[in-house]
Amino acid sequence: MAGKAAMTLIGLKKTIGNKPIIKGLTFEIQAGEVFGFLGPNGAGKTTTIRMMVGLMDITEGDVLIEGKSIKDDFKEAIRHVGAIVENPEMYPFLSGWKNLQHYARMTEGVSQERIKEVVELVGLGNAIHEKAGRYSLGMRQRLGIAQALLHKPSILILDEPTNGLDPSGIREIRKYIRNLAEKENVAVIVSSHLLSEIELMCDRIGVIKKGELIAIESVKTVEDHSALKDVHIEVHPLEMAKDYLQSEMAQTIAINKKELIVSAKREDIPHILKNLVNRGMDVYGVRILQSTLEDKFFDLIGENAIE
Amino acid sequence: MNNFLKLVWNEQIKLYAQKSTWIMIVLIAAIVLGTGLLAKFMGSGIATEEYGADWQTELQEENAALAKEMEEDEFAGFANPFVIQKNEYYLENDIKPLPYDGWEYVLENAALTSLLSLFTIIVAAGIVSNEFKWGTIKLLLIRPISRTKILLSKYVSVLLFALTLLVSMLAASWIVGALLFGLNGASPMIVQETSSGFEQTSVLKEILQGYGFGMVTLVMMATFAFMISTIFRSSGMAIGLAIFLMMAGNALVAFVSQYSWSKYILFANTNLGQYFNGSEPMIEGMTLAFSLSILAIYFFIFLAAAWTAFTKRDIAGN
Repeated sequence: MAGKAAMTLIGLKKTIGNKPIIKGLTFEIQAGEVFGFLGPNGAGKTTTIRMMVGLMDITEGDVLIEGKSIKDDFKEAIRHVGAIVENPEMYPFLSGWKNLQHYARMTEGVSQERIKEVVELVGLGNAIHEKAGRYSLGMRQRLGIAQALLHKPSILILDEPTNGLDPSGIREIRKYIRNLAEKENVAVIVSSHLLSEIELMCDRIGVIKKGELIAIESVKTVEDHSALKDVHIEVHPLEMAKDYLQSEMAQTIAINKKELIVSAKREDIPHILKNLVNRGMDVYGVRILQSTLEDKFFDLIGENAIE
Repeated sequence: MNNFLKLVWNEQIKLYAQKSTWIMIVLIAAIVLGTGLLAKFMGSGIATEEYGADWQTELQEENAALAKEMEEDEFAGFANPFVIQKNEYYLENDIKPLPYDGWEYVLENAALTSLLSLFTIIVAAGIVSNEFKWGTIKLLLIRPISRTKILLSKYVSVLLFALTLLVSMLAASWIVGALLFGLNGASPMIVQETSSGFEQTSVLKEILQGYGFGMVTLVMMATFAFMISTIFRSSGMAIGLAIFLMMAGNALVAFVSQYSWSKYILFANTNLGQYFNGSEPMIEGMTLAFSLSILAIYFFIFLAAAWTAFTKRDIAGN
């Protein structure tokens, strides 16, 4: 992950009353990286994001954006940031276009052409001239992303961007985000409480629980081919195959309906199948259950408790 | 500065994109037209007839009739002496009374500035708190613009809205008045009652004073509502409190006027008319300079409180 830090959190703390909400976060987000910010509801994701964009005061520590402190140099720091904080709320009585114009007027150098370009990018098309109050949640998300991209930020912060989107909408958003990171070298921070959603678009994932960062993982290491995975094999006759594999691989093999579940490395799979076929057994199907980050982080995060 | 004007422009767009704003403007036009029509066709005591060449005799006859009416009808004693005295002023000073006209109608509508205050309070109470209600405050405050500037642009927008309403009302009153009652020239002189008797003054001066004094209450109460809504993020509370105080303020001051501290109450000072036309101030020892200072102090306290709340606050929750 070579590159310069787009955003740096230094011992970031937030105390409300006497209650520590965020207990010292330190990490960096690189340009061109999609960073997943994961944690159960109430873990402090949104509070952290609000501090990153200056909506909340920082009790201790600092957030540096392109080297500028959000605390001491708000204007210089925030001009590099585009964000959606929580839901993409828009002025319901203004059209999507006028909503964008409104935000464009608040930043230097956003032309009408740029607004058109962004509308094109998020695919709002003709709906842009309808009142935002009539938009579906998916359209509001797109408009939200559009307003965040207007001023070509080098850091894009999206709080739960897939909330309320249907699967095709989620896929599209994932595509934009990957594109922005890879082609425009934008650092993207995506928060979510659903790991399955963000592991597909993120390069790294930071896990936060009760205001503390408990893990930072690169998503790629999880895709390690030498790791053992559960391989489901639909084979007939089942008992014969089971006995053979148990003796061959020296492991207890479970049966799930018409499938055997074998724990094997990716490279061993062709060998196993060849042996089964050579012994006159019929193989109807093979699938590898992806070992997801979910399994890995489940113990870390624990249940979805808000404390 | 350019950038500040854009912020004000944004606020104006948001304001006029809302139906409620247009309802206020239509209501003002309707009320102006309505009172004009009522005065024209159902009003009594409005001298729309022009006096003839022998107006002195006409006035004397009128006074005699009024005096006779007073003997017969005891209720006539309330209004008639005023008309008789006014007529006598005309006779003594050899001024031919002018018929009621559009200028006087504009002047009478100065009473409607309380309606402008009401509408401005509603706008002032919503302009900050609505951003919180809509959730748009989060997107508004993550731009490279200081919170101070954003708050100021909203406040300036409120004042601009008040000015727009005022100009619309003046224009509507003048047009309706001119159409219904005609105009006695570009700037006629009228006879007004003051504490030291009747006096002839320019109608333009009277209009300027009438509306000007109304604007003092408007600006103070709108600023008050702006402060309350910025601190508590609730437009309902701000509207309720501001209107209640505007209505009850004078009664409140009257209630405690025997104490010397009562002159420091805002509402003892909002009516600057008490220093003009020879009237006595509400509480002894008050002067125009005193009231202006008190008003300025309240004004800055309101704005400082709103500013502190807005710039220091964590934007959390919805």
